[in-house]
Amino acid sequence: MSGSAEQHLQKITHSLKTQSLPLSDPQASAALRDAKRRLLQLNALTPSTIPSQNTALLTLARETYEQGALAAIRAKDADSFTRYVNQLSPFYELPPDILGTANAPERNKVTGLYLLLLLTQGLYDKFHSELEALTTRESGGATNIENDPYLGYPIKLERWLMEGSYDRVWKAMKKGEVPCEEYGVFSDILTSQIRSEIASSSERAYPSLPLASTKSLLFLDSEGAVVDFCRSRNWTIKDGHIYFPSAATAAAAATDDEDGEGGPQEQQELSKMVIQNTLGYARELETIV
Amino acid sequence: MPGKTPDKEPVENGGYRGGKDIDMKDKDLKPKGKKAIKEGDDEMTVVVPPSKAPKQSSVPPSNDTDGDITMDDSSKAEDGEVKVDPVVQTINDIKSNFALLDRAVTLFDARFTLRALRSISSIRKRLTPDILAQVIAETFSASSPSSHAAQQLLRALDRPDVSLGRQPGPEMEIDSDVKTAGKNGTKKEGKEVIPEIDMFLGILTQVYLHDTKKFQLGFDFSRYLSERVQSLNRRTLDSLSAKVYFYCSLFAEQLAPLPPSPQSPIVSIRPALLAALRTAVLRKDIDTQASVIVLLLRNYLLTSHISQADLLVSHTQFPENAANNQVARFLYYLGRVRAIQLRYTEAHEHLTAATRKAPSSACALGFSQNATKLLLVVELLMGDIPDRATFRQPTMEAALHPYFLLVQAVRVGNLEDFETTISDHADTFRRDHTYSLILRLRQNVIKTGIRMMSLSYSRISLRDICIRLHLGSEESAEYIVAKAIRDGVIEATLDRERGFMKSKEVGDVYATREPGEAFHDRIGACLALHDESVKAMRFPMNQHRLELKNAQEAREREREMAKEIQEGDLDEDDLGGEFDGM
Repeated sequence: MSGSAEQHLQKITHSLKTQSLPLSDPQASAALRDAKRRLLQLNALTPSTIPSQNTALLTLARETYEQGALAAIRAKDADSFTRYVNQLSPFYELPPDILGTANAPERNKVTGLYLLLLLTQGLYDKFHSELEALTTRESGGATNIENDPYLGYPIKLERWLMEGSYDRVWKAMKKGEVPCEEYGVFSDILTSQIRSEIASSSERAYPSLPLASTKSLLFLDSEGAVVDFCRSRNWTIKDGHIYFPSAATAAAAATDDEDGEGGPQEQQELSKMVIQNTLGYARELETIV
Repeated sequence: MPGKTPDKEPVENGGYRGGKDIDMKDKDLKPKGKKAIKEGDDEMTVVVPPSKAPKQSSVPPSNDTDGDITMDDSSKAEDGEVKVDPVVQTINDIKSNFALLDRAVTLFDARFTLRALRSISSIRKRLTPDILAQVIAETFSASSPSSHAAQQLLRALDRPDVSLGRQPGPEMEIDSDVKTAGKNGTKKEGKEVIPEIDMFLGILTQVYLHDTKKFQLGFDFSRYLSERVQSLNRRTLDSLSAKVYFYCSLFAEQLAPLPPSPQSPIVSIRPALLAALRTAVLRKDIDTQASVIVLLLRNYLLTSHISQADLLVSHTQFPENAANNQVARFLYYLGRVRAIQLRYTEAHEHLTAATRKAPSSACALGFSQNATKLLLVVELLMGDIPDRATFRQPTMEAALHPYFLLVQAVRVGNLEDFETTISDHADTFRRDHTYSLILRLRQNVIKTGIRMMSLSYSRISLRDICIRLHLGSEESAEYIVAKAIRDGVIEATLDRERGFMKSKEVGDVYATREPGEAFHDRIGACLALHDESVKAMRFPMNQHRLELKNAQEAREREREMAKEIQEGDLDEDDLGGEFDGM
């Protein structure tokens, strides 16, 4: 009975592996559902319920989840991907002699994708917690991880994003340096992310920008796209130059409108704060003395 | 709390986390030199005077042991007669603690227990299995119900054949029997050994096993001991049980697959520790609660389960009046968690508090070093440059050297120096668990570099920036500078057509709110310090009753006086009348 169930599972994971369908595909989701039900029947949903000698079953369960995770990414379903990753994490904590080292590429692929997902969602604290766990788990240390094509990719991206080398991020996404097709899913999100980053820093950094060179600055394809983008961010275009409704000019306009009203108000607020602080000190001093 | 004295568990601090960077020589020498002073310290810090009483009460048993040894081995005992035999001395020291524990139970005052625990550090060096076995044999009688516990202790010490109740020595059987009947019988076997003494001996056994590196044995024994302490449920055991768990997890850390691996035995003790935490919270057992939380945090961090550690912190409340050392440890681990999560401001706060709360004595040097290292990295990550004086402290200088180089590189904004420092000292940083944090510093180095550039040049081409900072390309430089401007690192504008960065005039800092805010922060810190020191003051128990009594007496006296005066007034009047009459 259990032998046939395992065989069936094997068939499912194999077909999932070769077809690499997105989760939204009815065939894939049906196969995954079937596989999970069989895992449940075999009492093999978590590694703690699997006897550690039964490596075949462990591998099967792990592969099912891995394929599920990859299918979820292809379908751009972040929630179910996260669920699969969470289900996988106890498997990845098993000692290597039980888990087998043959799966390292798949495992790194899934972990790398998870890192990338955290990065695009802006969950930097989780990203770094995960990274910290990785560095201590790998015996080779940080360099080993960075050299891995799957894991190194999100790490490099994070570093470049943090220091602001957006052109490198762009190049990494474009020049076929993406480790595998699943990683490409994030490229669109990342592109719009860096574009808005660049736009917000440009607003502060440049007094004006020539329309022609903005195209390359924002990694846009045509000048028409630049104009569209400018509209979406409320930038004004005047004789081939882009002007930003910068915070400084907006503030200046505001003070012009109110004709110096803002100044005294701020002054008042400031003096209020000073008075409040001083009163606080006085009260404290009284309790001490 | 009595545990506020900073040197409660000096040796643990030294041996536990400490000593990472301290040279072995130092580590071995220092505690010894310290010991004498330490004991003096301990006497000083305890406010209540009854230290004489337990010493006196410990005299009878000491005579007892002397006698026993004479029976056993007469030549040795003669030596002991002339000058105090170290073995006998140690046994006496251990036994003198029993009196303290006894007192702690009868008076229900945890302070005596803590004093007994404090003496472990001085006994520690002299422990041998024979001494312990002898103490156990003399303390427990074979017939008592706790003899099973004693048997366990002896088994852990690898002396299972020692018979309880007396000295091992078959040829003296009759004699010692008489002896027991005459001397011990009336006094000891009459009453049951309190569990506190039992546990204290258990802890001593743990210490011995740890010092002799019998980790597996110690771990098994600790598991047994922690189960036992859990089942006993006595409030007077609280501080002792905290210690039991402490050593239990210490043993687990030393066992075969060492911590970073997820198969390490420390993972397996988590349920036990969590259960202990739950019970401790329910029983309002602050000592155990604090130390188990710290142990769990350490446990999670060792296997890099950051999110679990974070969840633990958010779901538990660290007891406010925990012992100072536990607070310092807790803050250190919390600081580490926050630093990894990029919450640098919080991390900085916790780590500063941890370094300040760390015992200033040399015993806990390892802890202060580690906390300082982490604090330095966090300061750098926040964009601050640590004080030069931190690196000049003689105890820190050598250990902090790699970090000093790092700070220099960041301060100047030299990316090349920074990279070489990292690669040169990668192993040190990895060992300190700061490596991944330091890798994040790269952007700070770049930012500092840009800031230096913007301060020194009113106008500089992007190409030059790119060359100076060793950035990949001019485009990278442009994006990086733009980001720096947006993040408020520099005040400047970029000109894309001509490719340069133009710095704005730096405004007068004193015209802004900044000095006022800094002033406010400092005053706040001073006031908080004052409040804390007021809270930390300790008053002897029931002192206020005495005062009340005094006040009442004074009031009565006053009333009497008033009465007298009243009467006196009359008298005076009378007198006056008489006087007048005179």
